[in-house]
Amino acid sequence: MEYKVSELMISLMAREIKDGDKVLQGLYSPMPMIACLLAKHFHAPNMVFFNTADAVDPDPSEVPFSTAGPKLQENCVAYLPLAEVFDLAQRGELSLIFLGAAQVDMYGNTNLSVIGDFSRPKVRLPGGAASAFLCGFMDTVIWVPRHNSKVFVEKVSFITGQGYINGWDTRERLGIPKGGPRKVITNLCVMDFEPKTKKMRLVSVHPGVTVDDVVNNTGFDLIIPDEVPTTEPPTKEELEFIRSIDPNNVRELEFK
Amino acid sequence: MEKKLMPLKEAIERFVSDGDKVALGGVGRNRCPMDAVREIIRQGKKNLHLIGREKGLDFDMLIGAGCVSKVSFALISLEEFGLAPNFRRYAQEGKIEIDEHACGSIINSIRASAMGIPCIPVKGFIGSDVLRHSKTIKEFICPFTGEKLVLVKALNPDVAIIHAHKADEYGNVQLFGSPWEDIYMAKAAKKVIVTVEEIVPHEEVKKNPHLTAIPYFYVSAVVHAPRGAYPTSCDSYYNYDDEHIKEYVQLAKTPEGFQEYLKKYVYKE
Repeated sequence: MEYKVSELMISLMAREIKDGDKVLQGLYSPMPMIACLLAKHFHAPNMVFFNTADAVDPDPSEVPFSTAGPKLQENCVAYLPLAEVFDLAQRGELSLIFLGAAQVDMYGNTNLSVIGDFSRPKVRLPGGAASAFLCGFMDTVIWVPRHNSKVFVEKVSFITGQGYINGWDTRERLGIPKGGPRKVITNLCVMDFEPKTKKMRLVSVHPGVTVDDVVNNTGFDLIIPDEVPTTEPPTKEELEFIRSIDPNNVRELEFK
Repeated sequence: MEKKLMPLKEAIERFVSDGDKVALGGVGRNRCPMDAVREIIRQGKKNLHLIGREKGLDFDMLIGAGCVSKVSFALISLEEFGLAPNFRRYAQEGKIEIDEHACGSIINSIRASAMGIPCIPVKGFIGSDVLRHSKTIKEFICPFTGEKLVLVKALNPDVAIIHAHKADEYGNVQLFGSPWEDIYMAKAAKKVIVTVEEIVPHEEVKKNPHLTAIPYFYVSAVVHAPRGAYPTSCDSYYNYDDEHIKEYVQLAKTPEGFQEYLKKYVYKE
């Protein structure tokens, strides 16, 4: 079955969610929103789905463009203000959050704050939303809809969201007990972090994408294993579900 | 109980002063107090310090209209419509003071304000440059566990402005749907302005006390403002108007264009 890269990325994000996980989706997160609904509908019926609409386990007839929009409250079981989702996070009970980035470096540090000087920036970016808080103690998955060497840079000019900082055991030495980016999911490939050096490593390339495509669009030396498999495409059932809850192509927002 | 129902103009005149720290309710393009934002611009308030979590049009308009000297925020963006043009311009030209937070610190700062404590311990932030540049978040070792945490300063807003669904004339506020930080904001601020879609009889509040999210004694002014969140959404009442936001983005690309927007949509009222 033919599919778009947005649908593949949604399916990949959904696979990061295990049954029973408590997962948070943020603002301007169209693909994570659909991935959470997909996971809950298929392999993770017992996941708890939190989001920027403050709605617990919504089951909307169709997804909204604003990922905090009223539609995302449909058929939810309760409202829980983000303040209390964060309380859960601090208690160690939130499993995962999906975070975006304007820049990502080889250690998974992300920048959503400034390009250039902080007080007189060349480009003032929107700010990292939950990043500086949650990346400091939680597992995260980073998604990047446009994999290129402007996004994937050797060193971010500002660390908004903490990855593995300078790699190796930097997090531990700084007193950051756990968490960190687990995966990076892009329009070209899936990446993770080599356990010892904490350098970004290629996991799989999407169908039709070569390892060279990834290397040429990454601004640092990515670890390339000897064998690089092709990413498993979304199933027919997954695609049908995604299309049924997203008749307005909210999933394409980040590709326009 | 004192009747607090009044016109928007009077509420902003009486309860928003130049230099105030102003917390605005809502998230993204959802249930933001836009009528109040437009009135603040019309009254030409100055040197406001805006406080909010994930904000968009409301912050961007106030900044562009020259009402703002400082922002405390976790994110200011127009979601899929891109970077907030006025925020970006003013920040890049060094014309507003930046107090960058993350959601977890801004929310807990508001909670600390509501609790009457000067600061609150929060996890995370270690290793982030947000912490390095912050004057309101400081590293801290817990004296009991030895854990490395941060302390977030209570921002103590002077005034909170919230758009809600219903209230009676005394200021008992019913809030349906996503609450965000609005209830904490009302409890954190010294003055609270609530604009509402509908004014309901006091008896209705008494019949359904479980629906009262903010009781009257927190509230300074109640304003009847149907469609008062427009062009942002208000739950079951109306959705956001994306065509309007697209027009905003087009016009606000330049300061002159933004003035045109103000003329068309703010000064005409």
